[in-house]
Amino acid sequence: MKRLIYSLAFFACVAASTPAFAQQSGNLRVDFQGPGGHSSGAYGRVSALHAAARAVILIQQSLPAGSYQITNLTGGNSVNSIASDGLIELKVTAANAAEYQKLVAAVTNAAAEGAAAENKFRGVKPGDLTSGAPATVRSAVKPF
Amino acid sequence: MSRPNNALLIAATIVLTTVVSYGSAGNRQGSQATPPPPAGTPATIPPSVVTAAEKIANDPQILALLKDQSTDAAAKARWNQFLELVRIPSPSRQENLKAAEIHRRLVAEWGFTQAEVMTRADGVIPASDTNIVDGLPVYNACVVIKGSYSGRADSQQYKGQFPKVLVEGHIDVVNPEELPKTGDPSIRIKLQPYAQPVVATPEELAAIPEELSFNARGRIVENDQYATASKIFANAKEAEAGGGVRIYVPGYGDMMPSTSNAFVLAAAMKKYKIQPVYDIWICGTAGEEGKGNLAGMKQLYGFDQKAGTGSNPLNFVANFGLEGGGTVNFLGSYRFEMKFKAPVPRGSGSGPSAPEAMAAAIAKIADVKTPSELRDGAPRTTYTVGRASCEPPPAGRTVVPSCSLEVDMRSPRTETLDEIRKNIEPMFQAGASAENARYGRKDGGPEGITLELMWYGLRPAFVAESVDNIAVHAGLQSGIQLGVLTSPTVGTGSGSLNDNVPANTGIPTYQFTLASSAAGAGGHAFWEWGTRGTPAAEVERMHRVLTAALIVSGFHAADGTVVPPAIGPMGKRTREVVR
Repeated sequence: MKRLIYSLAFFACVAASTPAFAQQSGNLRVDFQGPGGHSSGAYGRVSALHAAARAVILIQQSLPAGSYQITNLTGGNSVNSIASDGLIELKVTAANAAEYQKLVAAVTNAAAEGAAAENKFRGVKPGDLTSGAPATVRSAVKPF
Repeated sequence: MSRPNNALLIAATIVLTTVVSYGSAGNRQGSQATPPPPAGTPATIPPSVVTAAEKIANDPQILALLKDQSTDAAAKARWNQFLELVRIPSPSRQENLKAAEIHRRLVAEWGFTQAEVMTRADGVIPASDTNIVDGLPVYNACVVIKGSYSGRADSQQYKGQFPKVLVEGHIDVVNPEELPKTGDPSIRIKLQPYAQPVVATPEELAAIPEELSFNARGRIVENDQYATASKIFANAKEAEAGGGVRIYVPGYGDMMPSTSNAFVLAAAMKKYKIQPVYDIWICGTAGEEGKGNLAGMKQLYGFDQKAGTGSNPLNFVANFGLEGGGTVNFLGSYRFEMKFKAPVPRGSGSGPSAPEAMAAAIAKIADVKTPSELRDGAPRTTYTVGRASCEPPPAGRTVVPSCSLEVDMRSPRTETLDEIRKNIEPMFQAGASAENARYGRKDGGPEGITLELMWYGLRPAFVAESVDNIAVHAGLQSGIQLGVLTSPTVGTGSGSLNDNVPANTGIPTYQFTLASSAAGAGGHAFWEWGTRGTPAAEVERMHRVLTAALIVSGFHAADGTVVPPAIGPMGKRTREVVR
């Protein structure tokens, strides 16, 4: 629900501020949040960084070449920990505001699918807990 | 390690990593199948160890020390010390703040002279031959309980070093990732009732209003929050029913309560004039976590990463770790930091992308199934890409110059560790190749993504061929003597601990804990938390550690007799010190 609210607010913001037929570009921040944990002791938990990487590949597949540029991919706090956070930053460019919104929607969808793929690989679903914390990796897309 | 030519780079990387890995862990284990671990089989404890355990555990000096530690005042002092130390950030290889505070307290508060502090602020132990690890100083914090052995006419030494027993726990923690550049670096310790759900994000954690307070000197403020956090419980169920709180702070579980209590034990040994025969060093070690590469232990044991040998320059004869476990087999790990470098942009700037090459590699790695996931009965083998980062584009540009990932692979057996490595290592290049292919660029060409090995981490695996060594004997018998063990049998698991280094160098090692927590979770994550456990358990654990260490070191008992050291004065080593 939080992600949906973010997305709706973002689309509304874009629509209100962009002339309909001007080339549109903007920067997006795609956050992934998971439980993290010890790389060995908590092995089997989802990785927010793995999810982010999966999402980048889905972005490649779903956005036209030249319409985006990844400017950052980061996550995790140490080599021996499952990453609890992942971040993609990218610049998106479209011919007009309507196309731009489609690209943003595609990025949002790729992020969600990347997270879903990581959750599926590790066999967790929304609502599952690990030691009391949410077991899934979640994504959120925001402009910056 | 930058290389102008990608093909050469790849070849050099492969050669280097092969030499590094098989020239170290491989030296000890070879390419042959490792023997089955002996865990689960009983040790044969010599009668002399049984006798020593009984004598030491019941010695009036030892019992007086424990009686002192059993008071409410001592329990409170231990608790406060833990809270005050755990809030000092101590990222791996940046442990200087915590080491400095331990050094300060050793002399100013815990009763030691400067001469008894064996480590320095600059990270140097003068008698070690390994004071720089991975190009960085090593911020260990060690103190000596002086033994009598050096005064004996028949004493032996190894190149100026009399025998020592090491009792150690690490002081580094995975969070925060780096020391803050500005402002108060101290960690805010948050409190949350059990009735509320465990936090799901760092933002939720930061928003918790209840937290512990400290004064300008770093001392805990004993206010209402402190009172709540200080409630003692036996377990999570009692804590939930009795108004307990989750105390969120990195290091609560891994492993500052135990390390902090090691220094409590050191101060108590000093106060009660506990005199061993061999020296006992009590250390808070650096570099156990993250890219630390066991730097603290490598300094103490003179471990050469390229050769895979330990010179044991300080002449330790036995090791006792405080991270718990009681295992005799130690997981090996391979760790890589790989950099994906973008070509210099041309024309429109369109070309292979460093972050997308790295993403391709991580996405491929993310789908790997380990031997234990593929085959019943295979040793538990794990991996993760723990960390990734990208170099920011230069001002006015959007092309990311480079990105780096760090991957960790672990297994208790060489065969399965090498199997997972053989799966994962080619994926670094596969990611680069996939990205190059999207733009029709050749691998190894100047217009494609190139790879660079930035760092290689090795924890030498160790599969014990026997459970019969003095550290295991002393560790088990101390537990039997004090009623916490019923048989001399080691656990069946494997650990990845500081002990990897002494074990691989031939030094007997065993682990305990000095911590007592009612509950906890979230280790290595932003939501690491614990709840205070019973102080009596801490005292019982001190009794066991003290008994075991003194069995090995030897002990001047209150009745004037001497329990002799349980091991000879020359520690093992796999390389000679040059000095």
